[in-house]
Amino acid sequence: MILYTPLSETDIFPYSEEAFKSRQCVTYQGKEMYVEQSEDGSYQLLQLLSTDPQDFLDDRFTPGTVFR
Amino acid sequence: MNEDKSKKEDQNQNDQSNPSSLVQKIQQLGQSNVPQAPDSNIHVLSIIGQVEGHVQLPPQNKTTKYEHLLPQLIAIEQNPKIEGLVILLNTVGGDVEAGLALSEMIASISKPTVSIVLGGGHSIGVPIAVSTDYSFIVPTATMTIHPIRLTGLVIGVPQTFEYLDKMQDRVINFVTHHSNIKEEKFKELMFEKGNLTRDIGTNVVGTDAVEFGLIDEVGGVTEAMKKVNELINVNKDREGKVIQ
Repeated sequence: MILYTPLSETDIFPYSEEAFKSRQCVTYQGKEMYVEQSEDGSYQLLQLLSTDPQDFLDDRFTPGTVFR
Repeated sequence: MNEDKSKKEDQNQNDQSNPSSLVQKIQQLGQSNVPQAPDSNIHVLSIIGQVEGHVQLPPQNKTTKYEHLLPQLIAIEQNPKIEGLVILLNTVGGDVEAGLALSEMIASISKPTVSIVLGGGHSIGVPIAVSTDYSFIVPTATMTIHPIRLTGLVIGVPQTFEYLDKMQDRVINFVTHHSNIKEEKFKELMFEKGNLTRDIGTNVVGTDAVEFGLIDEVGGVTEAMKKVNELINVNKDREGKVIQ
């Protein structure tokens, strides 16, 4: 499908807020991070908010890790 | 030997007993193990996407929230183990006051700070980039310099105009005080016509930013790490002298 219109993309395909509602910023094991809650209630790490470069090499905090 | 073997077996068992974590790691990072290293004395602060300030942006925007960064900057200042800070910038700009707040915080940190502009350091990214002790830009990165703009409902046009004018002066003052660019040159770039098709302003590319005195040097990770270590040593020497 090709659209040729002066409208912005979001006017035609509005973003659903629902998809982002499950995301939140939490502190877990002393590290601040963005997590997304899955349907089964577990949390998946999206982004680690840290200034320590070594935290990003920590196995426990690799992006995509699931916390139960 | 036997101990080694049993350790290996243990590891194998661990890997097998927890296959989901291994699969996850491969899915997310494309590898099964990441290298481990001791604590770092240099911390990294990345400012990516839009600088989010007073207004919460819709969730599909990639943002850096300044309320997250301010406590981290204080923590970096207070922690004696941290000796230097590298700022990674790839931002399209954002809230002026949030950006200025970050810039002032970075500028007033006592520890050596170095910034690298990667990709883009546009609009409010410019004061953040120059706020560090020494700034780098990669050759392909660009910085857009343009007048401050406002969207949305405006109540009291003359007052708002004056407020915006003062805000712009604050940005100009900050940049000219923290870099080698002259005020006239910066204003000239800001109000230049013909560079951004039908808009006023200039898109400054890596080497040009250095030529204008906005950024100190063209370079990437190697140069930045070398510089921050050099500044840390200068800092240590100075502290040593004070004690004697």
